[in-house]
Amino acid sequence: MTLIVDPSQYRPSDTGEARPMLSRDADSMFWMGRYVERAEHVARLLRVHLMLLTDVGDLTPVLEHQMWLTILSSMRAGKEPEGSDPVSVRISRYMTFDPSNPSSIVSCIARARENARAIRESISSEMWECLNGVYLWITGEEAGARFEESPDQFYAHIMNSSMLFQGLTDQTLAHDQRWYFTQIAKYLERIDVTARVIETRFDVLSKMGAQLDQPIRNIHLMGVLRSCCSLESYRRQHLADLEGQRIAEYLILQKDYPRSIRFCVEQLHRATAGVRISNGQHVPSAPERIFGRLEAQLEYASIDEILAEGLNEYLTRIEQATSEGSAALQKSYFLY
Amino acid sequence: MFEQYHVGNVFDEMFIEPGKPRRHYAPIVQRLSDMDIDAFERRRRMADVLFRNQGITFTVYSDKRGVEKIFPFDLVPRIIPADEWELLERGLTQRITALNLFCQDIYHEQRILREKIIDPYLIYAAKSFRREMIGVHVPKNVYIHICGTDLVRGIDGKYYVLEDNGRTPSGVSYVLENRAVMKRVFPAVFNQYRVRAIEDYPYNLLHTMRYVAPVHAIDPTCVILTPGIYNSAYFEHTFLARQMGVDLVEGQDLVVENGFVYMRTTAGLRRVDVIYRRLDDDFLDPLCFREDSVLGVAGLMNAYRVGNVALVNAVGTGVADDKAIYPFVPDMIRFYLSQEPILENVPTYICAREEDRKYVLENLDKLVVKSTNESGGYGMLMGHQATESQREEFREKILKEPRDFIAQPVVELSQHPSFCDGTNVISGDGSRCFEGRRVDLRPYILYGEKVIVMPGGLTRVALRRGSLVVNSSQGGGSKDTWVLEDEEQS
Repeated sequence: MTLIVDPSQYRPSDTGEARPMLSRDADSMFWMGRYVERAEHVARLLRVHLMLLTDVGDLTPVLEHQMWLTILSSMRAGKEPEGSDPVSVRISRYMTFDPSNPSSIVSCIARARENARAIRESISSEMWECLNGVYLWITGEEAGARFEESPDQFYAHIMNSSMLFQGLTDQTLAHDQRWYFTQIAKYLERIDVTARVIETRFDVLSKMGAQLDQPIRNIHLMGVLRSCCSLESYRRQHLADLEGQRIAEYLILQKDYPRSIRFCVEQLHRATAGVRISNGQHVPSAPERIFGRLEAQLEYASIDEILAEGLNEYLTRIEQATSEGSAALQKSYFLY
Repeated sequence: MFEQYHVGNVFDEMFIEPGKPRRHYAPIVQRLSDMDIDAFERRRRMADVLFRNQGITFTVYSDKRGVEKIFPFDLVPRIIPADEWELLERGLTQRITALNLFCQDIYHEQRILREKIIDPYLIYAAKSFRREMIGVHVPKNVYIHICGTDLVRGIDGKYYVLEDNGRTPSGVSYVLENRAVMKRVFPAVFNQYRVRAIEDYPYNLLHTMRYVAPVHAIDPTCVILTPGIYNSAYFEHTFLARQMGVDLVEGQDLVVENGFVYMRTTAGLRRVDVIYRRLDDDFLDPLCFREDSVLGVAGLMNAYRVGNVALVNAVGTGVADDKAIYPFVPDMIRFYLSQEPILENVPTYICAREEDRKYVLENLDKLVVKSTNESGGYGMLMGHQATESQREEFREKILKEPRDFIAQPVVELSQHPSFCDGTNVISGDGSRCFEGRRVDLRPYILYGEKVIVMPGGLTRVALRRGSLVVNSSQGGGSKDTWVLEDEEQS
């Protein structure tokens, strides 16, 4: 079968150009990618948190409460849910199963699947079956019992499903526009969560400051790295030397690590350029310019300057730039 | 497994009499008899899981939120021998040819009306007759590109045409998916037979679409137009788009400019040449038909009329599958083709005719009354099962709007063994066993450069005992349908 394109309308690809895709498909592709990544982050945050609480042992109720609230603020999940259960039960259930909470894992997966269903013909069967499978798994009758039995295993399954989905995306989809949009979605979401994890966790840590002795402090710092899936690679870089400034530097500026903000921005720049090139355009697009500038900024930044400016202020600036880039992307491609 | 099977007094597809299968069913009966019932049930569950994981579902609107359900799949295949199929193929080809000539005639010269074969009143009173199409040239004079004809078998074992679905027949995706699942669940049984392949349907469909592309489109862009994710047949729309590799668009993705249709892409507007629309005429273009439609595309009909875009199927084909026009299809075949019909119709009484109406009203308790404006098993009276007040209600309706009704004698559909295990199919006494359930057959016919009848089709099953209604909206299931290769040729 030959490609179904009209040569008078479209120049087929001696440069490897992709077929143009429907704006609505691009939009759904983007949101599918974001929600899958978001579900993974929520699962990881909760999993790390439960582990952390076991490690640090008894905390004062106030401190424990405060720790749980960082989960809500990291995911911008609104107010603390009410009820008579202990805070850990309330928040982990709320962030896992509550369909009325748009940040809960169930909501993220349902929305990712809704978007995938709307572009069922654009994605591979493997991707669809993976997403549909995890949806049936988490909405099925046994989900509650599985969760009760081992929250750790439960969250691990969600994370693995997301990883599997990303692997399938890379290996079963042509690396054309469709794929670029999934990449943009993934890295935008990752920057968003990573920046907020750094903000909220360092905020709590600095407030607690003197109250914490060294072992507990280390456990908390490990928690920050784990929340960003970065503990092992950090150790390889800096040995087991846990130090706040280095950790912040690693998570923001590390060159080759796929969880650092700098790496994500590089990928955003590359993917937006990919979209533009596959449309046969020669001038950098609006989102591409934004991400390109941000990439240069991060490349030449140093942690001392960042700390001098203020960690939160710096991260807020990055978040602003990425949301501008995201808006430019929607304007250029989705809202035709 | 078939020891207790009850053949009864209708035509049974599998058994001539208890314990004596028809020749083409003998190998599978042997195979199933060697299998224990638990093993069979495990396979049935496996099939269900495959359907669910793949999201092969349709949406039912029982409450405000649509619920996704899998289409119940009945594991025992229906088998059609080569000689029987050969007859069906010829009959269906003849029928779609006549129906296309009829559409062409009715929107142009209307010879069939002038020669008084069909009463003009029946045409002009049909809601599906589109005045907007009079005098419009459609590419290659093809109106019905895709047809899904419903066939049933009577007590005599003869095939009858119950309905020609010439608008947007659905179900073909289930035919292909049923086959794929069957091959995975029952590979050994499948390999015992030489079953004709159906997997090239998407390829043929794409060619049928390209055949009617406007002449200016050298390499035409084909798309499928869907009402959207909440439509009950949405799975099928995505399935066909995926299988053909074309884009699946919604009304909001298309725009008409200077008489051409374009789709909105990330690289700007792209011209669209052929649209396989899974949207009723009524919703296609708010400027031409229902103005409250948000599913369609404003200006689409103008682009269509000037020939800048092709629609598959054409607008106005509903007139050919209107239930009050259906009784005339054999006459059409004689009139346009000078041939005798190969497939027979079910005898039909047209309530708009005085003598027919009189007979219908006198025999309401023996007939099936159907509304000419509804489909999918809605708006029907099964006279022999209805209560006195239901019959009274229909009597009044018929007297008020005779054109809206036809009546047919009850066709005792043929039956086929179905596996009952309490989930999909419930047996009469609650046990796990095979029981006969009524079936029909919907083959799919493509009319492009040549007529292609897909060797197979959708066998729909009424899962309730004794029920004659096979529609999926009324609790029907489906079977894989095997058409066998001709043994002498192979």
